[in-house]
Amino acid sequence: MNAYADRNRALLNFIVLPTVLLSVGLLGGLRIDGQTRQFVFIAPPLVTLLLAMLLMSLFLRVGAIDLRRWLTIEQPMLTNVSHLLTLVALFFASAQAFNSVLPENGLLHWMFSFFFLWTLWTNQFSIFDPRRLLRSLVVLFATAFVLKHLVIAGLYAPEGGWLRRLTSTLLQGIAIDVPAFAPATGYISFFALALYVGGLLLIALVPTQAATTQIDGPLVKEDIPSETSARLPD
Amino acid sequence: MQQKLIQIAGIVWTLVYASIIVWIYATEPRSFKEVTTNTRVAAGIYEVNEEKFNNGLELFRRDQFRAARDVWAGADPAQQDPRTQFYIAYAFYREGWGRVYYDDALFKQGLEAVNRAINLAPNGILTIDDANLQMHTAAELKTELEQGMERSWKDLNPLKLFRERK
Repeated sequence: MNAYADRNRALLNFIVLPTVLLSVGLLGGLRIDGQTRQFVFIAPPLVTLLLAMLLMSLFLRVGAIDLRRWLTIEQPMLTNVSHLLTLVALFFASAQAFNSVLPENGLLHWMFSFFFLWTLWTNQFSIFDPRRLLRSLVVLFATAFVLKHLVIAGLYAPEGGWLRRLTSTLLQGIAIDVPAFAPATGYISFFALALYVGGLLLIALVPTQAATTQIDGPLVKEDIPSETSARLPD
Repeated sequence: MQQKLIQIAGIVWTLVYASIIVWIYATEPRSFKEVTTNTRVAAGIYEVNEEKFNNGLELFRRDQFRAARDVWAGADPAQQDPRTQFYIAYAFYREGWGRVYYDDALFKQGLEAVNRAINLAPNGILTIDDANLQMHTAAELKTELEQGMERSWKDLNPLKLFRERK
C-alpha cells in the first residue's frame, strides 16, 4: 500500500465524507419560493428525526455501520472523534434527506411520514445485508422524490391543467395543503439525495478502510470479521 | 503524522461547516445577498449605507414616508442600526398620525421598529440629535406610538382635533 493511497483514504474518510453528509444537511431543508424566488429554509420536523433514528438503527442492525470498528478504545482519540462526528453528520443528513422528500404540511405530510415509518419499522425485522439495504433506500427515496417533486408538484402547480382539476374534484373537502415552490426546489432535492446516496456508498467503505489504516500497521483479511471479509477481494 | 493532520483538519472543518449550517438555518437568509449581509453582521463589519440613509432622510423631510422607509430598508437591510430603525419608526408614526384617528396598522409597525431600535441601542437608550424632529428619544417615540394604539374615552374629546403632529 503506497502513501498516496493512505493519504487519499484519509482525505475521503475525514474530510470528503463529512462534507458530503453536511451538504445534504444544508440542502435537504432548502426550498425556493415559487413567487418571490427567495430561499426558504425548513428545519427538519420532529418526525424526520424519528425516521433518521430508525434508519440509523437499521444501518447498525445490518452491519452497514459496525460501531465496534467506528468507535473503539483501541483507536486513537482523534479517529474516534472524527468517526463520531461523521455518525452525527449521517444522522442529520438522513433527517434532512427525509425532510427533502416529505411534503411540508397537510395531509400528504402525514401520509408520507406514515409510509416511511411503516417501511422502516418493518425493515427492522427483515433480513438485510448492507448492499440490499442501500438498494432498498435508493428505491424508497427515489419513489418519494418522484411522488413529491414530479407527481404532486405537477398536480398542484398553479398552471396545472385537467389533471389538477380532476384531482381537486376527487379530493374535494380534504385539506391538502401543498405550498408552491419553484422548480429549482426539485433540482436541489435531487442533488441532495444524490449526495446522500453517495455518502452512504462512502460510509460502506469506511469501517474496512479504518481497519486497514490502523496506526499499528496494515490489517490482514483474517483480522476482519467474517461478514465484512466476505465482501473484500483477496 | 500526515494522517493525524488530515484528521485534525477534518474535525475542525466538520465543526466549522456544521456551525455555518446551523447559523444559516437560524438566520434563514432569503437570498445570497442576505447571506452576505448576515455574514458581515456576524463578522462585526456591517455598516449602514450612509448615502441611502441620507436619501431616505431627504424623502422623510418632504413627507414622503413610504419612499423613505423603502430607501432606509435598503440602507440597513439587516435591521441592525438603531438610528435607521428609529427613523423608520418615526416615518410610520408620521404617516399613521391623523387629526381624527391614528392608523393602527402603521403604528404597530412603528412600535416594532422602535422596539428594534431600543434593543440595538447601548443600554437601551437612544437619543437622536435632529432639529427637524420633535421627539428625540426612542422612549418618547415608543410612548407616543403606544398611546396612539390605546382606546379610551379621551378619544372622544373634540379638543383632540386641535392636537399637533410631533
